[in-house]
Amino acid sequence: MDIGFSDEETRFRAECRDWLHSNIPGEKRPLDAVDAIAFDKDWQRRLFDAGWAGINWPSEYGGRGLSLVEQVIWLEEYAKAQAPWIGANFVGINHGGPTLILNASEEQKSFHLPRILSGEAIWCQGFSEPGAGSDLAGIKTSGRIEGEEIVINGSKIWTSFAHVADWQELVLRTESGSKRHAGLSWVICDMHTPGITVRPIRKMSGQTEFAEVFYDDVRIPLDNVVGGLGNGWKVAMSTLSFERGTGFIADQVKQSEEIAELIAKARASGRIEDDRIADRLAQMRAEVAALRAMTYRNISEVVRTGQPGPEASVIRLFTAELGQRLERMAVELMGEDVLDFAYGDDNAVHDYLRGFASTIAGGTAQIQRDIIGERLLGLPKSR
Amino acid sequence: MDLTPDTDQIALQTATGDWCRTNMPLNGARDRPVGLWRDLESMGWTEMTAPGMDIDHATEALVFAELGRYLAPVALLSSAVATRWANPAPKTALALAAGNGIRIFDGEGATEALGLFGKFPGLIKLGNDAEMKPSLDLSTGLIRLTTSPTVNAIDHPHAALHLQLLSAAFAVGCADAACEMAADYAKLRQQFERPIGWFQALKHICSDMAVRAAVARSQLYFAACALDASEADAAFHVAAAKRLADQAALENGRANIQVHGGIGMTDEAVPHLCLKRAHLLQFIAPVENRMLLGDVA
Repeated sequence: MDIGFSDEETRFRAECRDWLHSNIPGEKRPLDAVDAIAFDKDWQRRLFDAGWAGINWPSEYGGRGLSLVEQVIWLEEYAKAQAPWIGANFVGINHGGPTLILNASEEQKSFHLPRILSGEAIWCQGFSEPGAGSDLAGIKTSGRIEGEEIVINGSKIWTSFAHVADWQELVLRTESGSKRHAGLSWVICDMHTPGITVRPIRKMSGQTEFAEVFYDDVRIPLDNVVGGLGNGWKVAMSTLSFERGTGFIADQVKQSEEIAELIAKARASGRIEDDRIADRLAQMRAEVAALRAMTYRNISEVVRTGQPGPEASVIRLFTAELGQRLERMAVELMGEDVLDFAYGDDNAVHDYLRGFASTIAGGTAQIQRDIIGERLLGLPKSR
Repeated sequence: MDLTPDTDQIALQTATGDWCRTNMPLNGARDRPVGLWRDLESMGWTEMTAPGMDIDHATEALVFAELGRYLAPVALLSSAVATRWANPAPKTALALAAGNGIRIFDGEGATEALGLFGKFPGLIKLGNDAEMKPSLDLSTGLIRLTTSPTVNAIDHPHAALHLQLLSAAFAVGCADAACEMAADYAKLRQQFERPIGWFQALKHICSDMAVRAAVARSQLYFAACALDASEADAAFHVAAAKRLADQAALENGRANIQVHGGIGMTDEAVPHLCLKRAHLLQFIAPVENRMLLGDVA
């Protein structure tokens, strides 16, 4: 075992750092999805043109075709340089694209992947429904097959970037009367199709970043099904392993900077003399280090075996809860200044309020604990 | 960069686990046979840290985590450090210096003990007239020294880190043992006509145990590699590993008893052995906050 990088990897790291240093936008990314869309698209385009989009995506679809380790190096340097969050490109780059790479037809891949990488096409996710949250298999939105078309009716919720998206990864029930995981399909839905209504939802942090989506006899081509009719659950789950590989590297680098800042702040204000504060800061600094170790361990496992290790499911839960502990500490150190927060402020209070999402979105902390208990420890399934 | 064990390391890890399961099972920790130390010697675990062996800290960490999983004698820790940094002795007991004297663990058959005295580990001579008392950790007897013996300090900067790293490895093993024991019991024990592990309230206790163990083990590997590479921040990483490993061992030790319910609080069941071991490990090269908060501007 070793924690060093090869000469080639070190050169690649320097290359990443240099480019980021001279190309990071001077202005801050706006908070609201609508205000940020031009910014997000422009930044993604610049990344793409310079060859930094999709480092480990296949080169025939516009990626660099490099290794997972190089992807990790890029993401580490990206976060260290405090480059902007990829924002509206998040779903396409981190979820929709990877799902297409693993499951889509040649035609679907060659059309969509380069558009995702270049920032030309914005994607959103359509999984959760008002009645299907943690119980995702309770999806009711239906797709009736009529000739060469699917006719969609129903609604989706918590769909980030729905109001600015061009495409949606939509999971719906294409077999009427089917139950649970059977009879679902994963389809590519054009968000500009007639019959789609988007109602943006404001979060308690003040941003309008997600939305509810209604489908009223929305007709999309049957060709837009990915991975075959009725295989939607399998297709949706296939991305989880991809997501667990590198999805949290940026968070982890960000957290190591946050803890350093918090310690410096507590030292400057004298709060560090309070043993309870010092104890929690020391604890979190150790945890942030361990998170990097755990991520490296997981990536090593993927490089060695092609699959993330069983501990991969731990990373997501640990990252989310550690992030919340850091955000909470930042707010505690602010004292009464927390009361000055107003919607639109981009500061520690905003991060704290927004951070509640991390143990809810993409599988609650409770669902993650079920997964760890059942898959890692072999405990009986509760559902 | 590679934080997974290679084939040789996995083989060594597996062989260690296999031997321990047969010859040194966890449930025998309170009543180890007299000849156990000789067996450990003949298997090579007391010599593996000797300078000529050229085994890196990463491999040591893997093996010691495995030994720790079976609550192996704590003198393996002190002996390993003594073997690496001083003259190898047949068996070196573990010394813990506190304000009110020195405590010696696993002193049977040992003529010397090693512990941290201030910043550096040091060796002290043991007389043969000491009275052996029971200790919280039932795997070891306890000798209390009230006089201040002469300490032969080992002033190599890595020696203290070595002790901290290996005891972190023991704690990681201890945390794993408690987690596995709890999960096994939760699959077996039935209430309300189903295994108790079916209930989220119990399942999530077990999941949290797995998280703590995985977090601590990852940092242990990173710290061992940092020490092998003599990285500038190796001391921080070893301290972080020890802090997280101690915590995982203690909290998993407590949680395991809760999962076991009534039987978990008894002397005849084994969950308390892990908890009591964790309490001993936490005092070996403990981590102060300043070690984790230092060097941040």
